[in-house]
Amino acid sequence: MNVLQSVKNLVRSKSIHVAYVDVGSCNGCDIEVLACLSPRYDIEQYGIYVHNNPREADILLVIGAYTPGWEEKLHTLWEKIPDPKVAIAVGNCPISGCLFNRPHSLIDPPVSKHIPISAEVPGCPPRPTEILTAVLSVAPIVFKDYEVSKR
Amino acid sequence: MKRTVDVSVPLGPIHPCFKEPARVKCETKGEYVLSAEVELGYMKKGIERIMRGRPWQEVMFLAERVCGICSVIHNMVFIEALEQISAISVPERAALLRVIANELDRMQSHILANFSYCYTIEHETLGMYLLDVRERVMDELERITGARVTCSYIVPGGVRFDIRSEDVLHLRANLAAIEGEVTRYMRMFESGPLIGLRSKGVGILTREAALEAYAVGPTARASGMPDIDRRLRHPTYKTLGFTPVSRTEGDNYARIMVRFQEVLESIAIIRRCLDLLPVGPIRGGGIPGIGEIAYSGEAPRGELSYYIKTDAAGRVVDISIQTPSIMNIEACCHYMLKGVPSLADVSSTFVSADPCIACTER
Repeated sequence: MNVLQSVKNLVRSKSIHVAYVDVGSCNGCDIEVLACLSPRYDIEQYGIYVHNNPREADILLVIGAYTPGWEEKLHTLWEKIPDPKVAIAVGNCPISGCLFNRPHSLIDPPVSKHIPISAEVPGCPPRPTEILTAVLSVAPIVFKDYEVSKR
Repeated sequence: MKRTVDVSVPLGPIHPCFKEPARVKCETKGEYVLSAEVELGYMKKGIERIMRGRPWQEVMFLAERVCGICSVIHNMVFIEALEQISAISVPERAALLRVIANELDRMQSHILANFSYCYTIEHETLGMYLLDVRERVMDELERITGARVTCSYIVPGGVRFDIRSEDVLHLRANLAAIEGEVTRYMRMFESGPLIGLRSKGVGILTREAALEAYAVGPTARASGMPDIDRRLRHPTYKTLGFTPVSRTEGDNYARIMVRFQEVLESIAIIRRCLDLLPVGPIRGGGIPGIGEIAYSGEAPRGELSYYIKTDAAGRVVDISIQTPSIMNIEACCHYMLKGVPSLADVSSTFVSADPCIACTER
């Protein structure tokens, strides 16, 4: 492994930028993601920053059950995120549609049909600690030696 | 008259300050905002379509997930409407426990709204203080109802869990701490010179405009309409004897201050409930039957109305929901955002009206 790669590994382990996108949830998971910011859970002590800006993000938290309003838009958003990138589904909605997945509803779950999802955090809504654990456990797997594993 | 529009600026749907996707399109002349309109449609799931034809046991959980921030009030209004249809009576202890859960939910919703505002005007310190207080409220909500967000605490004829005596002690101790901290942060917000510059006189909604736009909730109460509070007509709240908060300025500052004062008001209501709490059952009986009703309650954001029609088996034949945010979003776009001095104030004014897109579109 060359020196440049080890510097990249070091930098990436301490600065993970997170964007979240709500594609049709009930808002419960949004506020649990926001609660991760609070001093009790303190997501920034692990070097994770929530900016909600896709162009500088490394991790996209997808919340919600994919409504028709997001057709094409979610894919465009996913392509705006620079590599290396990873998407995490937060809550039951992006995984299965939760209790909205019934006849006559407008949603189109799962979200993994539309963009590649790397990790799933089930729960309605999941606790902030669970979201935090998911982000922390996915990040080293994806971002460590990214250039080597891509080759 | 011909309007000179320099540029049309869209904000959103992904925006660092908005919790949920909404697009605000502003027509500006320089930095001065001439007009704004909001574009919705990112969150439409069709909950009312799913609800029709389902038994109330399923609709209860769907109603709670109309809005995740104010889930307790959706649960409460739906179940109380069913109780009105079928003449189910509620034990007094259960009625007071409902009020406690509802007020805790209102407190966390208001604190979250104020956090969003402080975060938007980039006073991150105060925002983080408020999020820390909110976790205390969430703890109490979890201790009483068993879940942080979607609790399904209220069922026809009562509530699901009783409050234990050690919970009461813990709740009282935590309320005292929350009251002290919220009072301190309210004073910080009141006296902060830079907060005043960003908030006072920005996004003014006059009383006439609020009446015209049918603004509800804290947004209307900040424009001098205290009697808009639906809690004044609720049978349990009537016995508690509270006075709604109101201010007359109608700007961003007034809206945030009204929320701070309502948090303190909610603490006083919970204390009164704990004093009055009688010993007795928490669940009466009763089976929801046939009937139809329009029923409303006061959500953290304003008046929430349900129209429900059920059949003899307790299935929901027809339902329609009117949530408070839609009126406040319209009032925000047509009156508050017009004449906002700079584009930086657009997002903060929009957030100060506390829009909840999930319950607007359902």
